Amino acid sequence: MEALLTCEGLRRSFGKLTAVDGVSFQVGQGETYGLLGPNGAGKTTSISMIAGLLQADAGEVHIAGERMTPRANGAKQHVGLVPQDLALYPDLTARENLDFFARLYGLDRDRRTQRIDQILEVIGLTDRQKDRAGTYSGGMKRRLNIGIGMLHEPRLLILDEPTVGVDPQSRNAILESVENLATDGMSVLYTTHYMEEAERLCDRIGIIDQGLLVAEGTRRELIATIGEQDLVRLKITGDVTAAATACDQVEGVSSSDAEDDQVVCLVDQAASRLPALLSAVASADASVAGVEVKEPDLEDVFLHLTGRALRD
Amino acid sequence: MIRAALLIVAKDARLRLRDRSVWIFAFVVPVALTFVFSQIFPDQTDFQLSAGIVDLDGGDVAAGFTEGVVPELEGEGFVTATSFPDEAAARTAIEDGEVAAAWVIPAGFTAQVTSGDGGELRVLVNPDRALSAEVARGIADGYRTQLDRVSLTVATAATAARGQLPQAELEALADRAAAADAIVGIEELIAADRQLDPTSYLAAGMAIFFLFFTVTFGITGYLEEGQQGTLPRLLAAPISLPAIHLGKALGAFVLGIVSMLVLALASDLFLGAPWGPATSQGIVGVGVLVVAAVIASLGVMALVGSFAKTVEQAGNLQSIVALVLGLIGGVFFPVGAGILGQLALASPHGWFLRGLGDLAGEQTVAAVLPAAAALVAFGVVTAIPGILRTWRATS
Repeated sequence: MEALLTCEGLRRSFGKLTAVDGVSFQVGQGETYGLLGPNGAGKTTSISMIAGLLQADAGEVHIAGERMTPRANGAKQHVGLVPQDLALYPDLTARENLDFFARLYGLDRDRRTQRIDQILEVIGLTDRQKDRAGTYSGGMKRRLNIGIGMLHEPRLLILDEPTVGVDPQSRNAILESVENLATDGMSVLYTTHYMEEAERLCDRIGIIDQGLLVAEGTRRELIATIGEQDLVRLKITGDVTAAATACDQVEGVSSSDAEDDQVVCLVDQAASRLPALLSAVASADASVAGVEVKEPDLEDVFLHLTGRALRD
Repeated sequence: MIRAALLIVAKDARLRLRDRSVWIFAFVVPVALTFVFSQIFPDQTDFQLSAGIVDLDGGDVAAGFTEGVVPELEGEGFVTATSFPDEAAARTAIEDGEVAAAWVIPAGFTAQVTSGDGGELRVLVNPDRALSAEVARGIADGYRTQLDRVSLTVATAATAARGQLPQAELEALADRAAAADAIVGIEELIAADRQLDPTSYLAAGMAIFFLFFTVTFGITGYLEEGQQGTLPRLLAAPISLPAIHLGKALGAFVLGIVSMLVLALASDLFLGAPWGPATSQGIVGVGVLVVAAVIASLGVMALVGSFAKTVEQAGNLQSIVALVLGLIGGVFFPVGAGILGQLALASPHGWFLRGLGDLAGEQTVAAVLPAAAALVAFGVVTAIPGILRTWRATS
C-alpha cells in the first residue's frame, strides 16, 4: 500500500521531558491507523507535529510527498484535524463555523456552499444549521467538530481522541462516521486510549507509551506478540505482590504481574496450569477469591509490553 | 496572509457584535459616565462663586482686594460677593448656605504688607462645596502671591534706603508694585491651560479610558482562541502564524476606531460636547488623535497581554494598567498644568486630552501633531517588546 503519511524518527521535548522519542510509522492511502496509548503517552504531541502545529526537534513528517512543518501550507491542505477539545466558535452557527474554516482553506464560493451542505447532512445538523453552536448538545458539538475537519476533503483526517467525554449514543455515531470515512478512501489517523475503539476501527495499530512506539501491526499481529497464550486473572486476598512472584515460578507461566487486587498471568494451556497456580498463591500465604481465563486482547498486549495497564 | 487576516477580522467582528460586553464597554458605559460626570461637574461658564468678604483691616491693600479684585470677578460673572461685619457672621452665612465661602482680611493686613512682612488672607469654606472652596482658595492664593511680590519689593527698597524712606513713599511703592501685574484670573484657576469645555473633556476622557478596555477584546483574542480550543485548528489550517496575529491586531484596531468615532459622535450629538472645532481642520485633527490613541492603546495592551497566559490573567493585568494610566492621564478630572499635569504626560490618556485641548485652542491640525506623535511613540515603543514576547511564546 502506498504511504500517504510517513513519520521518521519524530522527537519532541518540553524542557527536560521528552514527550515523543523517535516515533516512526506510516499510514497508507485509505488506511485507518490507530495510535493507542494511555494519557500522557505522547499521542497528542505526535499528531501536533504531524498536523504542523508543532515543530519537531528531530525527525520528519511527509504527507503526500510534501514535508510538513508549521509553515508548510501546501502539506497542511492535505490534512484535516479534529482536536481532542471542541474546536468551534459557540457564538457562530454551525453553518457560520463551517463557512469560516472553508474560507481559511480557500474553497471557492460554489464549492464552499456544496461542501457545507454535504457536511451538514453527514453530521445531521441540517435542521439546526442556523442555531448557534453554543446551544447544541455535547454530541452535536462533537459531530460539528468532526465535520469541520472533513470540510475541505483532506487526504488525511487526524482525530485526536474524538470520543472522550461523549455519551454512548454519540460515541457510536462518531465511530460509524469514521468507519464510513475509511470506506470513502480517506486515510485516518486515530488516537485513543480505548482499546475497543482501536480494535473496531483501525486496520493497523501503533502502541505508544512514554513517547516510544513500542509495537505496531494489525490486531492479530499485535496479539501474536504475546504468543498463543491465555490470560489468567486471579483475584487475591492477601499479599498480591507475593502471590504474583509465586505464580511467576509456575511452569508454563511467561509473565505474572500484580495489578490492584489481582495477579495477571500469561499462561500456556491455562486449564491444565490452574491447580499449580492456586497452589503457588497458597504458598505465598494468600488465597484466591476469583478466577478469570480469557484470550488476550490489545489491553493485554499493552500490559505485556509495558508492564502497565492501558488506563493507568 | 492579508486574506487570512481579513477573514479572522470578519469572523471576530461577527463574534463581537454578538458579545454584549463589547457593546457595554465600548459604547454604553462611556456615554453614560460622561453624562453622569457632566452633571456632577458643572460647566465652568455656568459656575458662579457665592462668597462673603470680611474686611477687618480697612486699609489700602485690603481695598485692593475688596474694591479691585472682587468687583472685577463680579463683573465677569464668576463671583457674587456679600460683605459681613465679622468672621462669626461669615461663618453663620456659610453654615446657612447663604454663601459657599468667605475671605477674611485680618486687622493690620495693610500694615504688614507695606512693611514687607507679608500678610495672611484667610479663607472660610464649606467642605461640602468642594469646587467653590477650591475656587475661593485659588483667588486668595493668587492675591497672596501678588502681595508677596509687593512685600518683597517694599522690603528690598526699605533695606536699600536703610530707613530713610517715609511711610507714604513706601505705601506708594506698594501700590505701584501691586498694580504692575494683573491678579490671576478665575478661568486659569479652574482650568489651568485646558481649553476644552468640561463636558467635552470628560467625554473624551471616558472614551480613551474605555478604549483601553475595548482593544483588549482583540489583543486577548489569541489567548481566547487557545482557551476555547480553536487555536489548534487555526494553526493546522494553511495560513501563517503572523496572519493570525495580524488578524487579531487588525480586529482590535477596527474595534477601537469604531468605538472612538461612535463616542465622538455621541458626545457631540447627545451631550453637546464636541471633541474639536466643527471645521475640516477640527475633524481631521480629532481623527488623527483618535487613530494615534488607538495605536497607543494597542501597543500598551499588547505588551501587558504578553505577560499573561490566560484570558483572565490578561484581562486583570490590562484592567489594572488601563485604570492606572487613566488616573494618571486625568480622564476623571482636569489635571491642570502643575505636577499632575506633567505626570499626565506619562500616560497616553494625558497626551490625547492635551492634543484635544491644543486643537480647541489653535483650531488647526498642526496643533495635534505633537500629541499624536507622542501617542504613536507610546504605541510603537510598547508594541515592539509586546510583539517579540508574544512571538517567542507562540512560535
